[in-house]
Amino acid sequence: MPPSTAPIAVPPATTTTTIPQSLPQPEFSKKRKLPKSPITPNKVAAHGNRRRTGPDASKEGDGKFEEDGEIPQKPGSGRKGQGKGNGGNSGNGSKEVRWAEHLLNPCATAIEAANLSRVQHLLYVLDELASPSGDANHRLAAYGLRTLTHHLSSTRIAAAANVPGRAGGLADDSPCFVSTEPNLFRSALIKFHDVSPWFALPNSLANASILQALTLDSNQRSRPLHVVDIGVSHGVQWPTLLEALTRRPGGAPALVRLTVAGAAAPPGPFSAAPPGYDFSSHLLRYAKSIDLNLRIDRADSLAPRSLSLASGEILVVCAQFRMGHGGPDDRTAFLQSVRELNPDLVVLSEVDGGRAGEGDGSFSAEFGRRAELLWRFLDSTSAAFKGRDCAERQVVEGEAARVLEGRVAAEGREWWRERMAGLGFRDEGFGEEAAEAGRALLRKYDGNWEMRPAEAAVGFWWKGQPVSFCSLWKPHTGSQ
Amino acid sequence: MAEAGDVEISGFSSNSTINDDNGCAWTDWSPVIDWGPLSADDDFRGLIESMMCDDNDGVFPAGVTCMADDPYWNSNPSSTTSSTGTPPAEEPSSTNGGGGENDDKGLRLVHLLMAAAEALAGPHMSRELARVILVRLKELVSPAGGAAGWGGGTNMERLAAYFTDALQGLLDGSSAGACSRQSASHRDDQTGDVLAAFQMLQDMSPYAKFGHFTANQAILEAVAGDRRVHIVDYDIAEGVQWASLMQALVSQKDGPPPPHLRITAVTRGGGGTRAVQETGRRLSAFAASLGQPFSFGQCRLDADERFRPAGVKVVKGEAVVVNCVLQPPHAATATSRGAESVASFLSGAATLGARVVAVVEEEGVEEEGDFVGRFMGELHRYSAVWDSLEAGFPLQGRARGLVERVILGPMIAGAVRRAYRAAGEGGWGEWMARMGFGRVGISCFNHCQARLLLGLFNDGYRVEDDGPNKLVLGWKSRRLTSASIWSPPPPAATGVSNGMDDSDFSLD
Repeated sequence: MPPSTAPIAVPPATTTTTIPQSLPQPEFSKKRKLPKSPITPNKVAAHGNRRRTGPDASKEGDGKFEEDGEIPQKPGSGRKGQGKGNGGNSGNGSKEVRWAEHLLNPCATAIEAANLSRVQHLLYVLDELASPSGDANHRLAAYGLRTLTHHLSSTRIAAAANVPGRAGGLADDSPCFVSTEPNLFRSALIKFHDVSPWFALPNSLANASILQALTLDSNQRSRPLHVVDIGVSHGVQWPTLLEALTRRPGGAPALVRLTVAGAAAPPGPFSAAPPGYDFSSHLLRYAKSIDLNLRIDRADSLAPRSLSLASGEILVVCAQFRMGHGGPDDRTAFLQSVRELNPDLVVLSEVDGGRAGEGDGSFSAEFGRRAELLWRFLDSTSAAFKGRDCAERQVVEGEAARVLEGRVAAEGREWWRERMAGLGFRDEGFGEEAAEAGRALLRKYDGNWEMRPAEAAVGFWWKGQPVSFCSLWKPHTGSQ
Repeated sequence: MAEAGDVEISGFSSNSTINDDNGCAWTDWSPVIDWGPLSADDDFRGLIESMMCDDNDGVFPAGVTCMADDPYWNSNPSSTTSSTGTPPAEEPSSTNGGGGENDDKGLRLVHLLMAAAEALAGPHMSRELARVILVRLKELVSPAGGAAGWGGGTNMERLAAYFTDALQGLLDGSSAGACSRQSASHRDDQTGDVLAAFQMLQDMSPYAKFGHFTANQAILEAVAGDRRVHIVDYDIAEGVQWASLMQALVSQKDGPPPPHLRITAVTRGGGGTRAVQETGRRLSAFAASLGQPFSFGQCRLDADERFRPAGVKVVKGEAVVVNCVLQPPHAATATSRGAESVASFLSGAATLGARVVAVVEEEGVEEEGDFVGRFMGELHRYSAVWDSLEAGFPLQGRARGLVERVILGPMIAGAVRRAYRAAGEGGWGEWMARMGFGRVGISCFNHCQARLLLGLFNDGYRVEDDGPNKLVLGWKSRRLTSASIWSPPPPAATGVSNGMDDSDFSLD
């Protein structure tokens, strides 16, 4: 008998484990030599959105790709709805473009249901389409595949499952903050800050609000400022604040203290820095150069003693994208410890999960939520880098992908509001100056970003979907 | 086998030269280049005899001779000889994988194809996902760039390329109109290619011959002794089936002179009409060369592709035969006609007072349920076709490439389209039985002929009964095609068939 075409006859489950072939994986960096000029935004978008489709793209209808929305806009047009490509952003239109989740979520469900052949099938397909250097969907597929593969290994069908060899081109040691060389880490932070408002905008609003707090306190201008930094900026946020402090009427406070207390919060995406990275010396040098009296400390907890609080200082707790990790009780306890510091101002920025309480808490439901969060990050980052790949982008995205690991609660803004109110905080509105600073900064970035007021807080939206928020809180003094 | 391969290729090129002049294609298939010495070959006779049933009464002694004289066989005697003379167990496995890498690649292709089908119709439907998967598939199946080209890539890659193209067609929403337009131009411009490819398919596999021979044998048996035979053919295509029937009619040397044969080809008008006229001209020329009395006519389908029996002129005293082949190369056009059209044609058999109805069809995909299931069924089925061609002619990639491109590719596109649109368009047998058609038993001789035919090809082919009136050709465990013989329902039942509604056509 001649051999039959075995691939057809063999059910997917009985596969062979072969050495991963070096497939001609499309590297879009090549095809991504996009014109830099923002003057022809629509042309740029047309190229950028098609990069993965290669020569076949010309056959496809162009209309739906416009919804991809990676449309750089002219500076100054930072409002939603600019450009003809944005029409379908907020509705189902953008969902049509998101294909990776159509594979990832069914795979998560199948793993949960121990449906081996289905898992196998989807892993194969994901493996073919995953690429940490493709467009946002391919990247999401790559990170999602890695997470699902890890999760699969902890289930009872792990032994029977045969994970395809190619592994989406994503090695286990793909870039993340901790494993990154310090210089690249620093350059990734700065570059990301420069091209994406993901952190830059909340940082900017935080700085503006700190300044605002000082201004309102003008009758006691000599009080030292003490900022407790529980954030993910790794120092990048502070030079602008320091510089602004020196420019404010009446001059900078006699002493500016920065206490880096990130270690007090549970670790999560963007929280870690590589060993050997230290921004303190840079910052101190900079402060000296602008003649500012800066003192930097580190603290492992929020205990008043470890923060060496001094009486008479204006205490600001700046908690950004670090509170959402750990369990709900952990988060409440952490907020409680913030409350006990009785700070003058709390800046709270967090990812806006938007759907708190939804889902049944199952693996697949949680995975789906986190994959959606990561999609927004990858999609906006793709726009931020204008589709180009680079080491900095890989580092930031690799770190962001840790959100899939399940550390992020991704509660909605409302959840936080309730917790803060319950702990005796009242929310504080942003001053006009802060809001204006935010709007000015927003113009620098992709036109799909927008700021929306959310009660007293400000929400940051990407393509019509909430991404994060920034809120201000002060201890409730009415009852005292 | 390498030598046979050379012969095969040269046979192909000579045919394609001939086909530059379509008019004389038939005469080149005439018994002049007979394998005369072989037909007297003891081994071959022995083979025939060993396969003969005991109760064969020899009513149609010409039948076997008819096979030996059949122009199809003669067109490439060397190849046929080598097929019979070479143990098929020695096929090289080089093109077929022989390594885990290819197996794995094939597996990946199958997963991607399945996922693309799912994305087009499944519960997680996403056209964007389908698009992305198809882009990836194209990267995988066409390393040289040209999809579905000549022998590029492995067997599995080429098969996957055609299914990829078929799915791309669904995604692009290419309508039935576009497809029939394509096949019409196909016929106008590439008749030569189609003929050459079809002849190669004939040489490589019993796929087409099985249906033609079984139908023809049943027709011969049904009209034995009649002086006038009138065949109404639903989709005549290149008319290859009738060349073979004429051979059989004229070769019944012991009997009376051959009956007058009239063929009415059903057409749908448009560009197809011209191609059918050309077929008629070729058949007339071929009949003249054999001394077979012959006439040819056409009957147009209505605008809605329904068949009107009144459009066929039936002469009193002639034996009417209704022939319906839904198979390559017919299938390239026939499948674009809807089930309703086929049903109207088969129903017309009663009105015409047909002696017998022969139906040759693809063996339906048995997978029930959704599009993905049917799609995978088609993938499996065509992989069996691929496999059988590969096993029979492992070295003739170029010839296989032509067959795949001209015949099988369009069939796959049609099959995938059908799978997408209609739920389980299963076999016609169930419908015909329900409509009151009677089963006409397959004669023992016909059985033997089919077995003999298969004996000339690779071991993997199987013939099996499916009821008294149906023979099925299979490759290993998978059914490929079938021929079934029916008698029309009595006239009383025609009223029922006239009043049928759409639900009568859905055989799911």
